[in-house]
Amino acid sequence: MKPGRRLLAVLVAAPLVVAAALLAQPPAPARSQAPDVLLNVIRSGTQKLNLFVPDFTVTGAPDTNNLSRSLADVAGNDLKFTNLFSVVGNQPALPAGNADAMKKAWTEAAAAGAHAALLGVITPRSDRLEGEMRLFDLTSPEFRQIGTKRFAVVPSEPRRLAHKIADEVVFQFTGEAGDADTKIAYVAPRGNTKEIYTMDYDGVAPVPLTANQSINISPRWSPDARSLAFTSYMRGYPYLYRLFAFERRPVQLLAGFLGINSSPAWSPDGRQVALTLSKDGNPEIYMLTLATGAFRRLTSHPSIDTEPTWSPTGREIAFVSDRSGPAQIYVMDAEGANLRRVTQSGFNTQPRWSPKGDSIVFTSRQGSHDLWAVAPDGSALRRLTTGPGDNESAAWSPSGRHLAFQSNRSRGARLYTMLADGSEQQAVPNATGEAVSPAWSPRLP
Amino acid sequence: MAQRRGHLHLLLPLVVLMLFVTGCPKRPATTAASAPAPSGSALAPATPGAPSPSGAAPSSPGGTASPATPAPATAAPATAAPGTPPRPSEFSENPNLKDVYFDFDKYDIRPDDARVLDTNATWLKSNANNLVLIEGHCDERGTNEYNLALGERRAKATMNYLVAQGIQANRITIISYGKERPVCSQKDESCWQKNRRAHFLTKGR
Repeated sequence: MKPGRRLLAVLVAAPLVVAAALLAQPPAPARSQAPDVLLNVIRSGTQKLNLFVPDFTVTGAPDTNNLSRSLADVAGNDLKFTNLFSVVGNQPALPAGNADAMKKAWTEAAAAGAHAALLGVITPRSDRLEGEMRLFDLTSPEFRQIGTKRFAVVPSEPRRLAHKIADEVVFQFTGEAGDADTKIAYVAPRGNTKEIYTMDYDGVAPVPLTANQSINISPRWSPDARSLAFTSYMRGYPYLYRLFAFERRPVQLLAGFLGINSSPAWSPDGRQVALTLSKDGNPEIYMLTLATGAFRRLTSHPSIDTEPTWSPTGREIAFVSDRSGPAQIYVMDAEGANLRRVTQSGFNTQPRWSPKGDSIVFTSRQGSHDLWAVAPDGSALRRLTTGPGDNESAAWSPSGRHLAFQSNRSRGARLYTMLADGSEQQAVPNATGEAVSPAWSPRLP
Repeated sequence: MAQRRGHLHLLLPLVVLMLFVTGCPKRPATTAASAPAPSGSALAPATPGAPSPSGAAPSSPGGTASPATPAPATAAPATAAPGTPPRPSEFSENPNLKDVYFDFDKYDIRPDDARVLDTNATWLKSNANNLVLIEGHCDERGTNEYNLALGERRAKATMNYLVAQGIQANRITIISYGKERPVCSQKDESCWQKNRRAHFLTKGR
């Protein structure tokens, strides 16, 4: 077992008799089963790992932008957000390359209750910012290093370095990278217009992606995180487009038929976009193959069929249909066959299939709107939000640990996040102004 | 991967260019009795031919990288004229045509609203050189995508009523704004009712 995982297993499994047997296992290659299982119990109240994070050590150049403190803060907040760590920060940076100073710092931290320490070393270069993360197990007598990794980012994006470091810490302990090096795109209503913006997942640095002074809705990131599909009235009628978030490339028209062209959903391999078209008489779900531009129809029913969402296997699609009366969630395979109904009662829209594949979050309207989750076979129905106000438009983080959503519980509509079980609901910090329809990007390339 | 993007990167700006050069060769949304519109839009690459039946294997012939040629128009009504629907911005407000309103989650025409539509139909018959754009709207409750569909149902129900009163289908274009363009923002039934509407604009031919 890797030292990191054993460490977390010790803490998290303490009350569990089963864990004792697992701890006695010999070191396993790569991931060991038990700590991952324990870590996936994502509920408040589970003991957290105490992580000591001194200010990052900046070497090789003067720290003119105080990256030492700011990047350690960003990484520390990223790690707190996962709900796995209790972070002690705001501690003086360690001098570079000084083993004695490091040992002294770790000894003091361990005595104060820290279980692990994160050392970040930042080296500004002329054309890039380099960073190295080193993770230490403070419960081992020799403070054994759990893991290390190097990164480089462009100098204009220092926060990404902190996010990458935090994501690596999460990977070292859980076997799956964290969600910090991601963006959230959203719709910002401003008077008569709605434009699409993107920001760091923690609300920093919003950047407009559209500026066409019309109504732009339903942004969806492509799996390679390079583009977004969205619906826009920029040419008068609701057409489906694709924009490139980080490259200077023109917006592309994906579908401009009569009627509605909306509700895009990228297939997991990025080659197809499921979407809603009403060109053939009423809203139906179609499949666009990007390489060829060919459209294939999946549903054929006079009801409203809309809001496709893919299973992570790419084999099934959940969607909304009111063929039986009020809107309900259905599942079909990616060819449009094997239709089955998932929700039985209420009025249910906005299905979002989790990246782990085991649940579909959706919006249920009972007067106001709240988020619920259900297993794809219709079992395990559970409520995630209970007001106040309307809670809707969920978006999964890449790991499936978190959901972003839209809530008007406070003044106006804002973006919130929560863990997949509905706990730890909090407003996205740093964000200003009304924001709706979040779309959480994949991990950035 | 790069090859696919190369395709798209060349193709779609090209068809967008064609749009500006040739205009949108789409038919206006017309009579409810019409068969599915030919998928001959040069705006987006489309498979020629009929949509695939429900649950069947894909009907795509392996895709075409060039804009589809117009499919044979199956049972196209004689009154439907090929051509481009004018952009919404080309239409103007018209105080002679009153809004009609709908019940929550519904798109059927209520009796009082039918009377309003009768009056609107009379005006349209007397002013036959006018094209009309019918907007469908929803109140702010409900989620965005479903409301796009519901708004379209309201616009279509309104159009169908007018066509049944004798208005030519090829004079009518519909558009749904879902819940995206409310006329008021208070969170009460009075405002919500005002938003659950079909709205009319006109344009001289």
